[in-house]
Amino acid sequence: MNRRGWVLLAAWCGLLALGLFWVQTHLSVSADLRLFMPSPRSEEQRLLIQNIGESPASRLLLLAIDGPGPDELAALSKRYAAALGARDEFAFVANGEQAPPVMPDKLLAYRYLITDSFDAAPLDEPGLVAALEERAADMASPAAGFLEEWLPRDPTLELLHLAQRWQPRAEPHQVDGVWFAADGKRALLLVQTRAAAFDPDGQTRALGILQELFAQARGAVPAALTISGTGYFSAVIRNRTQYEATWFGSLDTIGLVTLLWLAYRRFVFTVLGALPLLTAGLAGLTAVSLAFDGVHGITIAFGFTLIGVAQDYPIHLFSHLRRDETTLTTARKVWPPLATGVASTCIAYLAFLMSGVTGLAQLACLTITGLLAAGLTTRFLLPRIAPLPGSDPARSAWLARLNQRIEGLPRPYVLVVAIPLAALAVFAWRPEGFWENNLSKLTPVPPELLKRDAELRREMATPDLRYLLVASGATQDAVLAGLESLDQPLDAAVREGAIGSFEHAAQYLPSAALQEKRRAALPEAAALRTMLATATAQSPFAADVFAPFLADVERARGLPPLTRADLRDTPLDLRLGSELFTRDGHWYGLVSLYDVHDPQAVAKLARAGTVTFLDLKAASEQLVAAQRAHILVCLEIAAALLVLVIVVTLRRWSRVLRVLAPMILTTLVILAILRASGVSLSLFHLISLVLAAGLGLDYALFFEHAAADPAEQQRTLHALLVCSATTLLVFALFSLSTVPILQAIGVTVSLGVLSNFLLALLLTRERAKA
Amino acid sequence: MLLLTGRSVQGQEPEAAPGLAALEQRLARTPPVSTEFVEYRFSHLLKRPLRSSGTLEYRADGVMVRNVVTPTRETTEVDGEQVRITRAGKATRTMSLQRAPQLRVLLGSFRALLEGKLTPLQRDFELTLSEQPTHWTLTLVPRDRALAKHLARIVVHGMDDKPSCLEALERDGDGALTLFTAAPGGPQPARAELEQACRAPAARGAAAK
Repeated sequence: MNRRGWVLLAAWCGLLALGLFWVQTHLSVSADLRLFMPSPRSEEQRLLIQNIGESPASRLLLLAIDGPGPDELAALSKRYAAALGARDEFAFVANGEQAPPVMPDKLLAYRYLITDSFDAAPLDEPGLVAALEERAADMASPAAGFLEEWLPRDPTLELLHLAQRWQPRAEPHQVDGVWFAADGKRALLLVQTRAAAFDPDGQTRALGILQELFAQARGAVPAALTISGTGYFSAVIRNRTQYEATWFGSLDTIGLVTLLWLAYRRFVFTVLGALPLLTAGLAGLTAVSLAFDGVHGITIAFGFTLIGVAQDYPIHLFSHLRRDETTLTTARKVWPPLATGVASTCIAYLAFLMSGVTGLAQLACLTITGLLAAGLTTRFLLPRIAPLPGSDPARSAWLARLNQRIEGLPRPYVLVVAIPLAALAVFAWRPEGFWENNLSKLTPVPPELLKRDAELRREMATPDLRYLLVASGATQDAVLAGLESLDQPLDAAVREGAIGSFEHAAQYLPSAALQEKRRAALPEAAALRTMLATATAQSPFAADVFAPFLADVERARGLPPLTRADLRDTPLDLRLGSELFTRDGHWYGLVSLYDVHDPQAVAKLARAGTVTFLDLKAASEQLVAAQRAHILVCLEIAAALLVLVIVVTLRRWSRVLRVLAPMILTTLVILAILRASGVSLSLFHLISLVLAAGLGLDYALFFEHAAADPAEQQRTLHALLVCSATTLLVFALFSLSTVPILQAIGVTVSLGVLSNFLLALLLTRERAKA
Repeated sequence: MLLLTGRSVQGQEPEAAPGLAALEQRLARTPPVSTEFVEYRFSHLLKRPLRSSGTLEYRADGVMVRNVVTPTRETTEVDGEQVRITRAGKATRTMSLQRAPQLRVLLGSFRALLEGKLTPLQRDFELTLSEQPTHWTLTLVPRDRALAKHLARIVVHGMDDKPSCLEALERDGDGALTLFTAAPGGPQPARAELEQACRAPAARGAAAK
């Protein structure tokens, strides 16, 4: 290396260090799983995505404690809940000990505007007589002592009526006053974090506190804590991805260094070979943090995988270096196939830039920038630094032997027909489930965690996760009125057994119109006093006992309708928050359904009214399908562009076909193998197919470029053996990942590397001139 | 507080745990157990004490049934944590004691007395036994603070192997008195007379003979 080489190297390294510093200070990593979900297009889809991510329900963490006996577990649950309740990190903690929401004391008089007891018939004398008869019977019951305190104020027991109506429909099973799973073997708790579900730092902190306080509460009891919920997932995914990325990264680095040393036998090539890849990574990260607010951890882990292709570029250069020509001359000769490969791979990733999935767009931005940077530095910078090689692969005896063996292999052109036919046969044999439409499988959450979550949700008797009714309107009050109009048909649905029960915001906060109507129906003070006096005279109750009742009704007659502001900082507000919310200036009210037996009946009910029936599963499947159709169109455009680039570069159809054949056939081979093993294809398989196709194109371009010159063929063979070995190493490791997406990519690309290499060898490589 | 339990007023020291164990042995019953009762409810809300009567049963299947016959028919079944209340001409109401811990303690004490199991009572109450040659008095002071705020104590009076009367005394002076006998006819006695009768089972027993 000359002095200019050293200066350039120093400048390059200096720039990389600056880039590293900039990225470290400017990159904000996000864990919002929704970045990898399709962006919503319809009202229904917007609600769907919002429901997955932002609702208070998404901040719920479900806790289960497994341990020795129910008594010890119940005591532990109580100690644990008390400790958690004292921490600011949690908005609320529930384990069954807490009382259900009741009217706040200062709002007690409002009960007469909220209760539905007097909707059918107003509060009148026969009603009072009947109520006092009931209360007299209550006085002869063991509960009398507890009721006495309330009777003067509430002889019709409206508070009890409301409390019963507001009770969670199906509470978990209880042992000793705390929630247990139905088998009585695990205690259950529910906490709501203050941190948003997709704030992995906040969630990791909350999880740390959960574990720490559990260890303290547990003491010597041999009990184990299980945590589940969206926030837990986002923390787990981030930590798992980080962990695996670190591990795979270290293994890959060791593997790459070893392979490069074996290939070139000079340490300087190993070091120089890493520079374009590092440049690609830093350039990609810089571009993506400039273009987007937060970069998903998965984008980074995944983007580096895709950028790994850049490792091939210096290998192509190094393997073609000769002692009898300058490195710059070699670089110029290698450039046409290299440039074609870089350009076509970038075109393919352009499709993802237009996909409408933020995570994919980030990925495309990172990859395209990275590959361009690596390609350009390999062409213009690296040859000015790299020394001449110690040996030329064209003089290697074993490569010569290998090349001759390959020469002797048949040219199975029949594969061009056989592979498509076989693939078609596989597609026909297994037509069902070609595409993965299940949204939950598109998030990077491992399936066993999702299964455990579903089990816990069932035990906790949380509302149906799939079906929802949504009322919407311009104002909060319009939504409440819409919800009220649903009460009758929903009550009918409960009677007919279509649903078990339902719950919505208007049960806590009726619309102003309904409250005013109820207020107007309340009797005047004098009239009520007369009616009450008659009723009391017929009862065993002493006269004037019910004066506080008269006062409350009279107060209610002068009250303005209850508003949401009045309920602030009460347990009722917490419930309202998840059931009544505003988004983009529009109000939405959710009806939670329990035990849905006949979804069709509920859907019919929605068609009749102004509400939307939301089948989260169907909506998400449509969303995924629509999004995929969009991406497929983008990919088709990209494919057409790619072919155009190849045609313009190679100019002859025979050359074009030889270059494209391995890539196209490999795509069919991968699809057929995946389908034959029953795998449904997701967006991540599509990305991997594009990655594999890009690799195949590179291989074919270089084999084609070597033409029939045996020396060039040997150098190309050397380069492609090193390339495919390094790529296979990386993706074989990914196929071992526990993060489903990474695993899908690993398997797909590994298959692609093998198939592409073999097909390019057999179909693209020309026979050497004798 | 002990001074108020009648017998102790006369200077007798209540016996300790051995006496309790002996009483438990005498009271022990194997379900089904059934007894008639008359209950008087004293309340500042009422014109006069409210009298109700019926039977109290502890069935072999572990369900406690309180059957009120007068003044209105009402059946209360306590089955574990579930309470079912049926009134004449009304649908059965079901409630869970999980949401009414104080009522659970109260009902639990009834069940324990019916069955004659005093030991489990010590979890929820502080027990004091005072024994006389002819009769005994068991005082239950609730340990639960929320219950104690409302219920001062329960005093059970009995002879030999049978409780005869139960007084529930509330903090506000109200309360209830339950005699384990058939409903007497005639006019309703005053509270003082009833209390006298309750606290002197021997005299009443003799009179009944």
